Amino acid sequence: MKLPRPAWRARLRAWFHERLPRTDTLTLTQRKVYILPTRAGGMLALTLVLLLIGSINYQLNLGYLLTFLLAGCAAVAMHVTHSNLRGLTLHLQPPAAVHAGQAALLDIRLTNDRRSPRPGIALGVSDDATRDHWAWIDVPSQGSAQLQVAWPTPARGWQPLPALTAITLFPLGTFRVWTVWRPASPVLVYPAPEAHPPPLPPGLPQPGQSGSTHAQPAGEFDGVRAYRRGDPLKAVVWKKAAQSFAAGRNDLVSRDAQTSQQHQLWLDSEQCGAAGLEARLSRLTAWVLLADRLGLDYGLRIPGREIPPGQGTPHRNRCLEALALC
Amino acid sequence: MLKLLPRDTRDTLFILAVIGWIVLMQVPHLPWWTSTIAAGVLVWRAVLTWYQRPLPRWTWRVLLLALILGATWWTHRTLLGRDAGVTLIVALLALKTLELRARRDAFVVFFLGFFTLLTHFFYSQSLLTAAGILIALLGLLTALVNAHLPVGRPPLWQSARTAGGMALLGAPIMLVLFLLFPRMAPLWGMPNDAMTGRSGLSGEMRVGEVASLALNDDIAFRIRFDGRPPPQQALYFRGPVLSDFDGQRWRALRMPFPARTPAAADLQVSGPPVRYEVTLEHHQRPWLFVLEATPEAPPLEGDQARMLHSLQWVTERPIMERLRYRAESYPDFRHGPLQASFGLQAFVELPPGYNPRTLAWAQTLREQVGNGPDFSRRAVAAVMDHLRTGGYTYTLEPGVYGTHTADEFWFDRKAGFCEHIASSFVILMRALDIPARIVTGYQGGEINTVDGYFTVRQRDAHAWAEVWESGRGWVRVDPTSAVAPGRTGSFDRLLAPENAFTGALRNLNPTLAAQWRNMWEAVNNRWNQWVLNYTQGRQLDLLRQLGFKTPNWQDLVTVLAGLLVMVSLAGAGWQLWERQQHDPWLRLLRQLRQRLQRLGLETADHMPPRTIAQLVTRHFGDTDFSRSVTQWLMRLEALRYAPQSADSLGTLRQAYRQIVWPSRAPD
Repeated sequence: MKLPRPAWRARLRAWFHERLPRTDTLTLTQRKVYILPTRAGGMLALTLVLLLIGSINYQLNLGYLLTFLLAGCAAVAMHVTHSNLRGLTLHLQPPAAVHAGQAALLDIRLTNDRRSPRPGIALGVSDDATRDHWAWIDVPSQGSAQLQVAWPTPARGWQPLPALTAITLFPLGTFRVWTVWRPASPVLVYPAPEAHPPPLPPGLPQPGQSGSTHAQPAGEFDGVRAYRRGDPLKAVVWKKAAQSFAAGRNDLVSRDAQTSQQHQLWLDSEQCGAAGLEARLSRLTAWVLLADRLGLDYGLRIPGREIPPGQGTPHRNRCLEALALC
Repeated sequence: MLKLLPRDTRDTLFILAVIGWIVLMQVPHLPWWTSTIAAGVLVWRAVLTWYQRPLPRWTWRVLLLALILGATWWTHRTLLGRDAGVTLIVALLALKTLELRARRDAFVVFFLGFFTLLTHFFYSQSLLTAAGILIALLGLLTALVNAHLPVGRPPLWQSARTAGGMALLGAPIMLVLFLLFPRMAPLWGMPNDAMTGRSGLSGEMRVGEVASLALNDDIAFRIRFDGRPPPQQALYFRGPVLSDFDGQRWRALRMPFPARTPAAADLQVSGPPVRYEVTLEHHQRPWLFVLEATPEAPPLEGDQARMLHSLQWVTERPIMERLRYRAESYPDFRHGPLQASFGLQAFVELPPGYNPRTLAWAQTLREQVGNGPDFSRRAVAAVMDHLRTGGYTYTLEPGVYGTHTADEFWFDRKAGFCEHIASSFVILMRALDIPARIVTGYQGGEINTVDGYFTVRQRDAHAWAEVWESGRGWVRVDPTSAVAPGRTGSFDRLLAPENAFTGALRNLNPTLAAQWRNMWEAVNNRWNQWVLNYTQGRQLDLLRQLGFKTPNWQDLVTVLAGLLVMVSLAGAGWQLWERQQHDPWLRLLRQLRQRLQRLGLETADHMPPRTIAQLVTRHFGDTDFSRSVTQWLMRLEALRYAPQSADSLGTLRQAYRQIVWPSRAPD
């Protein structure tokens, strides 16, 4: 049962995080690492007090030895916990763009240049919603380890990454050592694609090219022909290929590329049929993805920006970026 | 096998094994049912883990808890106090495993386990116990470290190594705290049962009682003499004096009756004293054991010793922990009234209706010896002679004596050990109207050749007689020595039953066995002296050695706090040092770079010496200065990267100082 944390704590946390400089590579020095006893540490302290009282009351010198050895171990453990994090280097690799609603996967490399390993280090996003979701990892001695932290993206556009927290409880769990890190790189969040978009709009006749049009009637998108060397794999009609394989032949069939090139496909926010900016962007995003999957040439027209028709991953990303930043 | 188990199973089995070890050590002090329940629960839990079955429902745990509480009440008639507490905590520790889900509950088991570890010390603080506890402690720490390695399936030895390392690093802290933490009196009254079950001399004597002590190999006390120890025969350590006989049992005189108050001790000593130090094991009685006779009170910390009329030294409070004191004794002494006085009447009283044959024999003896000025002395001599020549034997198994103990000893069995002999002797003396009494204590001892300590054991407990002679006072007579000359003053003692190892060793090589035993006892003695007997007195001694004139416990706190401050400062200093560059090679390079910067040449952190050398040549041209700097940089490079280098850091520092720097940057 988790109680909601009071608002002032969130404000305090925000104020504290604001003060931290943003950086993509952070080496944890003495000043950046914080330590406090955990609840288990409190229990251990209570145990020590009770053991001491027992030793005094029954005048057990061996009891003193036991108590003090345990106290010594706890003191050493405090130092071990602290040095487990201190000196570690955190590095964020440039995060890949995601669609809104998807979790951004932050690739973080933890580098340890000391001779002993640093086991049991956890990373997580430091906000209330995800405060118990930790990704655990052991960093080997004089090596590095890669860790992914998922962060549910709130909205489209360039989003600054949230502050990340690294903690460790190793070895006894009596102290919690942590640091807060604000990565500098933002993550690009594309609009969320519409779940069930309507079919792509019909292509517009290409101006100035009507003469060279072949006999194929307009709008016939699924015309096919025999596979020719050099056809992109995307153009292969795999369904038919599977049928012919099943029949014992080796024929491949390609979509007739010319059909898709005779008409320019424009994805236009004015003509997409959705109401509201976000709904339009969402539909356009779905169409961009669909057109890219189908290997079509497409252009994008959104308020204030027009991207001429094109094809391929860079084109798709340019379109998506334009949609994200609209 | 262990490698094939899933991690949770392996971890749980390991924790169960550690708990099993903790409980196993406690088994000799537990009621049978606790051991049974604990073993049953642990095995049950292990089986569940092995087959990866779900844990039992909470009803089982409640049922078991009720059973344990009921059985504890039934055994101890209470749920509080030491023994009931130990029973409960062991049972609860076992029960807790039934809701042990490996990592999450490790903490509860950990802390419960620590309490259980402490309870072992109620019963034993020997070296072996300490070793067993250390193993258990490391086991618990290993389990805890393992619980904080959440990734993958790290091998247990890795956790064990971390735990061992922490314990090793924690040991100095333990040592400092142990040495300096002020020892204080119990914070509140201790439960009565805290000190039961420890054997020793008792304040009274019944035939057959010393026999049980005679087989007891426990150590009563240790002595270290300054200089030569007195001969074995002279080592009489005086305990309670028993003068009141009811036919079965000897007791100390009851003091409330003024008429029976014996005369004062009236001790007079002569000759040179024997000085020594006694380390007395706790025995729950207020008795100090010192050699006969000790006129001055041994100085004690926190207590006051006083001498009874019977010459016995007692303390205000029972001796509950090992006690060390120094004493001075005079083997030449005289005590008791020199002339017959009223108080002596108590020492000739005999209960009517006992030992008729001894009484009759006393009449005959009286006639044989004849009245005279030194009747007592002649009577004693005659009886001792009778003991020597009458076919009496010394045995530890004389059988069960009946009502008329003296009769049986003198006429029927003619065999017994010190208490039979002393008792029969004193009864006979009293029948002769000679004041006599029994003194109990210890006689003899064994020297440990390794560390020179005399060890006096419970089996050295002895009973002898004192006879009052006119003009001499009380005179010690040891009738046992007449029966068994070997009983007093010999190293050959009846040995307690041996264990298999020492038995086998003795058969193989008797001297080796003796040596081994001596070594073991010397180690044990060191343990007792330095660990178990480390009292506030010793702490203050330590401070005195550190230069405190009149140390008290506040000084201990001061020293502890001082150490803490010093360690903190050292830590802060280390941090400061760590922040700076402390690779001497890099520091040397940086020294040069800073100098070059002042001359107007900027170099970057990542540049190796060779690159800097090239920059220097480019910047300053082909001058003497740049050549010397380049040469120096190449030597610096060779020092770190060449397989062999003629330079050391020292020679390079020297060479650095010999570089002639241009006065200002070239235009």
